[in-house]
Amino acid sequence: MLGVLFGVATFIVMVNFMTGVNDFLDAAVFEGSPDLIISQKQDKNQVSEDLDLKLSSLENLDKIETTISASNNLKAYSKQVISPAIFISKHVQLPGALNGVYASAEQKLYDLDKRILSGEGFNSFIESNSIILGVSLAEKLMVNTGDSLKIIIPNGNEIKLKVTGVFSFGITTIDNVRTYVPAKMLQSLLEENELTTNIHIKLKDRNDISLKHSLLEKIKTINVEDWKDSNRTIVAGNKVRDVLTWSVSFSLLLVAGFGIYNIMNGTVIQKKKDIAVLKTIGYTKKDVVYIFLIQSLFIGLIGALLGVITGYAISYFISITPLKANDFIIVDTYPVNFKMIYYILGASFGIITTILAGYFPAKKASSVDPVIIIKDL
Amino acid sequence: MLSKYILEARNISKEFYLPVKHNILKNNNLVVKQGDLITIHGESGSGKSTLLYILATLDTQFEGDLIINNTIIKTQSQSFLSDFRNKNIGFVYQSHYLLQEFNVLHNVLLPAFKSDKKNKEQLREKASKLLTELGLSSYLNYPVYKLSGGQQQRVAIARALINNPKLIIADEPTGNLDQKNSQMIFELLQKISSEQKTAVIIATHDPKIYNNSNISYEMTDGVLRLS
Repeated sequence: MLGVLFGVATFIVMVNFMTGVNDFLDAAVFEGSPDLIISQKQDKNQVSEDLDLKLSSLENLDKIETTISASNNLKAYSKQVISPAIFISKHVQLPGALNGVYASAEQKLYDLDKRILSGEGFNSFIESNSIILGVSLAEKLMVNTGDSLKIIIPNGNEIKLKVTGVFSFGITTIDNVRTYVPAKMLQSLLEENELTTNIHIKLKDRNDISLKHSLLEKIKTINVEDWKDSNRTIVAGNKVRDVLTWSVSFSLLLVAGFGIYNIMNGTVIQKKKDIAVLKTIGYTKKDVVYIFLIQSLFIGLIGALLGVITGYAISYFISITPLKANDFIIVDTYPVNFKMIYYILGASFGIITTILAGYFPAKKASSVDPVIIIKDL
Repeated sequence: MLSKYILEARNISKEFYLPVKHNILKNNNLVVKQGDLITIHGESGSGKSTLLYILATLDTQFEGDLIINNTIIKTQSQSFLSDFRNKNIGFVYQSHYLLQEFNVLHNVLLPAFKSDKKNKEQLREKASKLLTELGLSSYLNYPVYKLSGGQQQRVAIARALINNPKLIIADEPTGNLDQKNSQMIFELLQKISSEQKTAVIIATHDPKIYNNSNISYEMTDGVLRLS
């Protein structure tokens, strides 16, 4: 019974914890980044002889927008003007990129206002020379809300911007690089009005990327990158953790199963005479199998129930344990998933293992020859 | 054709091949009528237990014919024989073989619940009545290990009687008991055979028992003889 208890409990804790980590990472990374990114296909024949800055504007913008809007899996989309730039603060200079966005559309994508640490969110875009920075980037540049920042873009134009907000997505790969400026301001700085370099799309169901295929099919001049392409390492990491979690959990249940098998086998040997007596007074093989299966089912049920309770308790304690993470992820405690389905799975696997482990000793018990009673005399 | 015998055994032989070929039973004949009390005695290794287990339908690997209650035993399936034993044969062993986990009443009810799962209340009453007749009325809910050897053997007899069998087979029923208890158990078996017309076959070493029975056989080297 203890074996089942530990098997089921460990299974639940492992699965809760691992899927908790996976879900947390997914949420952290994918909530802050677009599910689909549309960009213009680079044309090798289009050569800029004098090495001028040339940002490839999206062609067929109307057609793209109609196609996107027609999808029922669409949550929101936002047009982007993305340009490389150099940031110059009082202390440091850094290369980076500017995201020119339309405030209302971008807000629908990420709900940035919730992630603002200081200053204002997109409301500050009423003033055209404002910039919002990720928290890690702001730290590197040693600027705060209210400070000024000089920007130089590759065509030589420069502009002085005011930092009107600092945000955090809780994940350094975003907080380190992302900046927001009003699209109109960036377009005029680039001297190209109506320029759109990318479109970012958020989907209702991230796993259904049929929109990508319909876009690629209808419009030949664009590239579409989905979240799996952009986050290969994380997707692969999730897969590895999944495989690890399930295989370790199943081995634990297997070990517990063997424990039960041994105990039941011992019981059969111990009860050989009782089994023989039962058989002489008219109990059939079936009855004996039934008696032993009931016994292991009982062990399995009680063990699984206790295992679920223990598993929940341990998971709960893990979930309130403070976690001092490095700056890759910003989190207070260990992420743990409490989905009901894992408890049901753990319990039913526990019970199934027990029944299987009980079946073979039961079979053995049923074939005890009643004649052993004389032989032993 | 219906036989007038409860049990009819013709030319029963059995050979063991391990470790060497050995005829443990040689052409034995035995007939048992209603109300007969038969004892079989003989030295250890003479084959009386082997014969008893063939007669009890527990061993079907033998030569010859065995008919119990008009049923030819040899060709039946194991599950049929289980059911047949449950309804027709009661067993009493040397070392009582009661289930230690159960109380007295439940031990007696074991064979009854096997064949009749519906009338539990009625069966319980029947078992209590039976145990009362055997002088165990105040021990119904005792765990069996708290009873003395003689009491345990009486519980075993009650268990053998619960399904009203045609035949009771007792293997050394008094082997573990003292004089007084042996006498009591033997008288009990005699009473059962004479009053309920149940046939009783007893294998025993005890001269007090085989000298006092109407029909007594002796087994020597696999051959059964009236003595």
